Formats: sequence, structure tokens, C-alpha cells
Amino acid sequence: MDDRPTLALKRGAADAGGEFRSPALERLVRALARLPGLGRKSATRIALQLLRGAGDPAEELMTALAEARLHVRTCGRCGCLTEDDPCAVCSSASRDATVVCVVALPVDVLPFERAGFYRGRYFVLGGLLSPLDGVRADDLPFARLLERFDVDGVREAILAFDASVEGEATALYIQRLLADRDVRLTRLATGIPVGGSLAYTDEATLLRAFQFRRSL
Amino acid sequence: MWLLEASIEGFRNLIPSRLVLSPTVNVFHGGNGQGKSNLLEALNYPALGRSYRGARDDDMVAAGAAQAHVAVSCRTDNGDHILFECGMEKGGPGRLRIDGEPVRRRADLVGRMATVVFEPQSVQLAAGAPELRRSFADQSLSVLDQAYFRRLMNCHRALRQKAALLRDARRAGASPSRVRAEAEIWNREIAREAAALCESRATWARELDPRAAAIYAEMDPGSACLKFVYLPSLEACRRGLAGEDLAQEILSELDYIGPHEVRRGRPLAGPHLDDFQLLLGGIGLRGYGSRGEARSAALALKLAHGELIFAQRRVRPILIFDDVFSELDKARVRRLQQECAARHQLLIATARPDDVAGWKPDGLRTWRVEGGRLEELP
Repeated sequence: MDDRPTLALKRGAADAGGEFRSPALERLVRALARLPGLGRKSATRIALQLLRGAGDPAEELMTALAEARLHVRTCGRCGCLTEDDPCAVCSSASRDATVVCVVALPVDVLPFERAGFYRGRYFVLGGLLSPLDGVRADDLPFARLLERFDVDGVREAILAFDASVEGEATALYIQRLLADRDVRLTRLATGIPVGGSLAYTDEATLLRAFQFRRSL
Repeated sequence: MWLLEASIEGFRNLIPSRLVLSPTVNVFHGGNGQGKSNLLEALNYPALGRSYRGARDDDMVAAGAAQAHVAVSCRTDNGDHILFECGMEKGGPGRLRIDGEPVRRRADLVGRMATVVFEPQSVQLAAGAPELRRSFADQSLSVLDQAYFRRLMNCHRALRQKAALLRDARRAGASPSRVRAEAEIWNREIAREAAALCESRATWARELDPRAAAIYAEMDPGSACLKFVYLPSLEACRRGLAGEDLAQEILSELDYIGPHEVRRGRPLAGPHLDDFQLLLGGIGLRGYGSRGEARSAALALKLAHGELIFAQRRVRPILIFDDVFSELDKARVRRLQQECAARHQLLIATARPDDVAGWKPDGLRTWRVEGGRLEELP
């Protein structure tokens, strides 16, 4: 076996992030790099593709952006992103209004809708409790959530938050809010992913899976 | 486990170099400021994913270089090979790979490369501020139990959230009862993690204590007995409770001091205020011990941590000594070195050739470090 250490992490000089001679290009790269998940390197690649790519991708993107800004709004009932208010889920008679899945962000609705098994409705909080980011209880629409419970006669609320400290805290806050209401409150289970390997499961996930194991 | 080979490039003052290490004893000679500590810092980087001297990645990149690279290959006690590759970049995030696989979270790195580092600052373990002992405990426990590291991160996160809440509420003059209600949410998180952390710390201190006492007695026969005890800051942790009962009791304690915390605008209790104490003959070394006693006690504690790693994980950690023998009695130093060398790979940096003069253990390799250049001596 070859034990020799390699310097596989070495990167080319091109990665260092250079200055552009065009201030407009520089502004574009900076604006793109501020988007989530994009570093300067990817931002540069996208900027150059937009400006020099075949079929004028910049024009297509500008049109799409303008249309999206014009038509996309948040649903007044659940807070999901939609073109119609109320959204398709809130206005559908086939969705059970007495079951509500509470999520942190509009994007968290997507996996449920893609999977297609969920037949209840949603409520988007717009974030999780996090004083470090300036988000306190007063900044989240808990009052509107309670009103929704009363109006729709909600029987079950499923809290679908990240398995983080902030997710736990927000779930606990909602639990306290609902203490005197006759609502079944549940949280998504955490554990070994379907198709995942037990041998490579990290110990925190394994511990959760163990704690919340179920009888057969 | 032991280091087989290392290559270093762009790291502090070190000239790019590649070295093949002895599985037994490796000694790096050189005057002050020549690069010995930098070399040990580089070799230990994969163990923590950061500098053991507390330096930022930025500071470790050589002047004039954009990046630094450290690659270290190790052999584990069961014969496997592991390759650690670390990249540090000026102004950028550090990158780590184990056997070519990127390491995304430091939690995944903790404990993969087991080392025990003793450096001049380690003497502060006995006589310095509580945070040094806490940090030693946290590092040691994280190596022994990966779940501990995650719990610690969660607990710190919840504490920081509560601190931000209390601070901002105080500035804004928010209603105390509402702030308390919100703070109690974070208390639940803190209490749940703190119960497990405090139990782990208590067990760890109990297991470390007899080992450290035995090592100290070997180093200084005839001296008073060394004792290592856990001093939890939470009252609830002193009542012999465990599990859910302990978490409940911690929660009650945190809620009880809630009004004070709201008034003061900061958290006043939690595992972040724990301490540990080293006693010699029943007297605390902090404030009373001599420098020699403090040094021996700190060394004993670190070596006891090494023994605990072996006892619990069947891994023999690599022992790294950065200029630590100078103030210890020579005969005792030699006995200590021989005992360590019989069980572990040793990396020793020393400015005084006396510290290792006349010692010829099997497989000894010696280097001179001068102006960042490594030269192996015959």
C-alpha cells in the first residue's frame, strides 16, 4: 500500500478570485455571490455564462425574474409561495383543513408536495426562534397560527422543523402555546434514513433512532 | 496509532518538507524561534482540525503564500492506514479530507487522530483560569465520546441564544415576564444537554483521578497524593442525580434564577461555568502549588488522558511534547520518557539537547530545525 501523503488539496491560482476590469461585471459577480449556496467562484462562472452563453440566457433570466416578481406572492392563509391567494392547497376541497403541517420556510413545503402523501394543509412560520439572528417570539406569526387553529377547527398540528437547537426551541414554544387547546401536537421523527446504512449513521442520529425506537 | 509520514508546505516559517517518522521516538532539536513548535502544530493539525495553540488558519499560512498544506499519514493500532489532508487558506475556510473524503463538519474529525499534546502553556491546567481546564475536559471527552462533542455544541448554541435574548431584552427594556417565558424555552434545551454533559464530566474526572495520581507518584515518589475533582457550577449536579431526574432538577434551578438573569441581562448558570480542581495533599494547586508541582500535575493529567484513550478506545495516542522537560528533574524525566516510549509514539521538540542526551531508544530519529529547515541527523 502506498502511504505517501499527497497534496491533493492544492488549488490553482485561478481559484484565488481575481479583480475584473469591468466594474459592471464585478457588481454582477458580487450580487450573485450574495445568493445562498454560491461562492465567488460559482458566481463568476454563472456571470460569464449569462453574458457569453448561447441563446442569450441573460434575457431569458431577466424576463423570468420580472414575471416571478410580478406574480409570485405569499398565500394569506398559509404563507406558502403562490400566484393565487389563497394558494392551491388552501383552496382545495380535497385537502384536510383540520390537519396542519407547520414549517419554518416556504421551501420546506416542497418535499411534502413532491412526495404527495400528505393531504393536510400548511402553515409557514417564516423562520425559527433565534435571538442570535434577532428573531424573537414576537417576530413570528404565532397569533395568526392560533387564529387559524380556531377558525379551521384544527385537530392535529405536525411540526416539521430542522432537528436543530432552534427547531427544538420553536417546537417547545408552540407546545406551550397550545397547552390549553385540544389539538394533537406531533413532531417529525428523526432516525436512520430509508436506504441508509446503519454502519455509517452518525451517532447523534443513531441515538435519536434508538430513543424513539418503536415496538413491532 | 502513529504517524508514518508527513508533508508540509506553506506552513508558517517551515521550508516545504517531507519527513518519514519513527514509530517510537522522534526528537526535533533547535533554538527558540527556529520552527520546532510550528512543526508540531502542523503535525497535530488533523487531530483537531485547528491549531492546538489557538491560532487562526490565516496565521498559519506562511507570509507571502496564499495557502498552506499539511498531509499526514498514520497507521492505526489495528493496522489500517489513514491519510489526513489539510488545506488552510488566507481569508478562506480550511479544508480537510480523510482518505480523500472531504470532512464537512469538525464533529466528524474529532477522535480520528488521537494525540496528547503537552506544551509550555499546558502548565496553566493546574494553576490557570477555569476555562483552560474546561477546554481540556471538553477536548478529552470529545475524543472519547463523539456524542459528547455534539451535545456540547448544542448546549453552547442554546446558551448563546439565551444570552442574546437576555442581552437584547435588557437593552430594549422588554417586559421581564415575557423575557422569562422565552428564556425558559432555551433553558429546556440547555438542561437536557447539560445533564448529559455534567454526568460525562463527573465520570471522566473519576476515571482520570486515580490514573493521574499514579503517574504523579511515579514522577515524584514520596510526594503527597494528587487528586483531581470535578466542581460543577450547577447545584443540581452535586446531588447524585442522573438522567431525566438530573435534567429536571437543572431545569428547576435555571428557572429559579431566571429573574436574576433577566435583571443582569446574561446567563448566570450552566455547564459553561464548571471547573475542575487539582489538589496535592488536599491543598488546591491553584494559588498554592509551586511551578514544578503545577507542571508535574498538569503533565500527569495529560498522560492520564492518554491512558484513558487507550483504556476506552484501545487506541494508543501519539504523545507530543513541546519543550516541556526543562524544568523537571532529569532522572524523573528519563524515567517518564522511557515509560512513554514503551507504549506510544513520541514527538519531542526541545531547545536543550540535555533533555534527551544519552538516551538511545530503539528506532530513535533526530532532526535539527533551523530557520524553518528540517535536517535529519545521523
